[in-house]
Amino acid sequence: MAERLLEVADLSTHFFTHAGVVKAVNGVSFTLDRQETLGIVGESGSGKTVAALSVMRLIPDPPGKIVEGSITLRGRDLRALDEDEMRQVRGNDIAMIFQDPMTSLNPVYKIGDQIAEAVMLHQDKGKDEAWRMAAELLERVGIPDAKNRVKQYPFEFSGGMRQRAMIAMAISCNPDILIADEPTTALDVTIQAQIIEVVQEMQEQYHSGVILITHDLGVVAELADKVMVMYGGRTVEYGSIDQVFYDPHHPYTWGLLGSLPRLDVSEKTRLTPIKGQPPDLILLPAGCPFSGRCVYERPECRDTWPAHELIAEGHGVNCWIPRAEREEIRAELPHFKVEVA
Amino acid sequence: MSLLEVRNLKKHFPIKSGVLKRTTGHVYAVDDISFHVDQGETLGLVGESGCGKSTAGRSVLRLIAPTAGEVTFEGTDVMRASRSELQRLRRDMQIIFQDPYASLNPRKRVKHIIGEPLDIHGIGTDDERRRRVFELLETVGLSAEHAERYPHEFSGGQRQRIGIARALALKPKLIVCDEPVSALDVSIRAQVINLLEDLQNELDLTYVFIAHDLSVVKHISDRVAVMYLGKIVEIAGSDVLYDYPQHPYTEALLSAVPIPDPQTERARRRIILEGDVPSPANPPKGCVFHPRCPRAQEICTTAMPRLTTAGSHAGGEHEVACYFPARFDSGSRVVHKEPFLEARPAGAGAAPEGGAASAPVASE
Repeated sequence: MAERLLEVADLSTHFFTHAGVVKAVNGVSFTLDRQETLGIVGESGSGKTVAALSVMRLIPDPPGKIVEGSITLRGRDLRALDEDEMRQVRGNDIAMIFQDPMTSLNPVYKIGDQIAEAVMLHQDKGKDEAWRMAAELLERVGIPDAKNRVKQYPFEFSGGMRQRAMIAMAISCNPDILIADEPTTALDVTIQAQIIEVVQEMQEQYHSGVILITHDLGVVAELADKVMVMYGGRTVEYGSIDQVFYDPHHPYTWGLLGSLPRLDVSEKTRLTPIKGQPPDLILLPAGCPFSGRCVYERPECRDTWPAHELIAEGHGVNCWIPRAEREEIRAELPHFKVEVA
Repeated sequence: MSLLEVRNLKKHFPIKSGVLKRTTGHVYAVDDISFHVDQGETLGLVGESGCGKSTAGRSVLRLIAPTAGEVTFEGTDVMRASRSELQRLRRDMQIIFQDPYASLNPRKRVKHIIGEPLDIHGIGTDDERRRRVFELLETVGLSAEHAERYPHEFSGGQRQRIGIARALALKPKLIVCDEPVSALDVSIRAQVINLLEDLQNELDLTYVFIAHDLSVVKHISDRVAVMYLGKIVEIAGSDVLYDYPQHPYTEALLSAVPIPDPQTERARRRIILEGDVPSPANPPKGCVFHPRCPRAQEICTTAMPRLTTAGSHAGGEHEVACYFPARFDSGSRVVHKEPFLEARPAGAGAAPEGGAASAPVASE
């Protein structure tokens, strides 16, 4: 059990386009253990989805390419696998659910066909057996009347039910890792709560590791054990959820937390937005991608990426501002009640 | 008198099928809602997809023709306004749309997009209009140099600012904001929310703020109306609603919103509703929420309860449409769920609103 489930080190995935090189993921590292949930947070274009797709080796090549780094699944280097071997890993070892369950299900096949296909691809099961399993899986993710529902087409399912069907497909081969890319973003809150519950139950049952990609810090606070904050292809800060929410060290993390209206706070405080516009990924500065929007920018920020600094066990940040100064700045911010000693 | 009064508003979209396109049913998108908005305040309309919040917003402006009901703006009957009266009214009532990519004409320059309302209403000379466009750009945090550009040169947040500038061009009194920040990233969303708040203070604007994100609605609204399947199920001051939700749907909705605070999250109890929202083409009989309601009883299947004042907490109006609204003691804890119509005012009658009120527009 001492073995790491997944270890990603210095991953860089770039897209070579006519307009220039897009450094979608730039030197990103993270680990995942069994039964652990890692949240990857960031806004559009931060590289969070590309990081996950890189782990699955699903980057369209060309124009994309993993240019650097290692991806190790239970001691096995995924970058060294050929496409056939990788196909075995996908589904069996790592499965993924996507944001939009309508576009990720094939509209002309029955739900049962699509789940059974995944089962037959990876397990030595006949068609009848696979269909029976499909119905069982649907029932397990909470679809009522699964025996009949399995014979229906995606258009006959509501958004929440489609996402459940996607989860059923993802867990069909009992994967070690479930990657959920914005699994609840397209859903209404009450349905979102249902899906979050299903993911939690599945994780408890199968002891899988979950990588949760989201822009919603609320969902992270609810589901994740640890979190990695991405901006412009870089990890700017990572740590346990308590460390990142209560002892944040990167100005971008401050900005994100300050931008959120809070349901549980009654006095009306003005939000503290991050100034400026999202970065142009082709014109990212060589240094910190957040420079240009950062209020505390220094001369060195733009040209050199700061060294990694370990704040505490499992909590790290990349920022040029010296730690003492950072803590002083943070103490002045209106929206923080820093609680963790 | 309120700036905007809406009474018994209904919008039923016909469902047509077959070669003859005969009407075979109706989608009850908005089904008998009433509310008012006072000068200078923000009323939030919140609910999940398909609850009718956007249809309600557009019906109020008569961008779509309501099936029935009354809308009064500053004493003027919007529903019966003639074409020219309506054009006059539209100067005072504007809208901001959700998708800043779809709501700006990609072939027009920003100056034309923002200046178009001035052209249509024939306001000012060319020179005055140009100056007004520059002024509006500054007001929303852009600059005069942006006037010559096209929408594709802007990011989502900047486009939304252009949409806001267009809505402000005619110096309206009321703006219906239809999910204005839902398509934006978190950091940009906060900028636009702050901008809307500043504009409200500076220009004494009144907002009807439509959104599905409860945290945003709570932040920006003075009062909030919760909609479910075409009905308003609860309406109260935003803090009161969040602290003392009485309708079981409001409670579930609030408990489902993830809060970006791990400690709070760990301590929370979530109410998870069963199933999906039913189709508005075939709403459940009785209370529209009863098939998913944890408190539903026999009476709930008979008729939709009327929206009635049901105890007030911390002052202000608080209305709920439920036979079993939650009650609160001095603390904020739900003490008991009274079994019956205790909180109905005498004038409203003890009996729930029957089918009679909706009969004239029933489709069958």
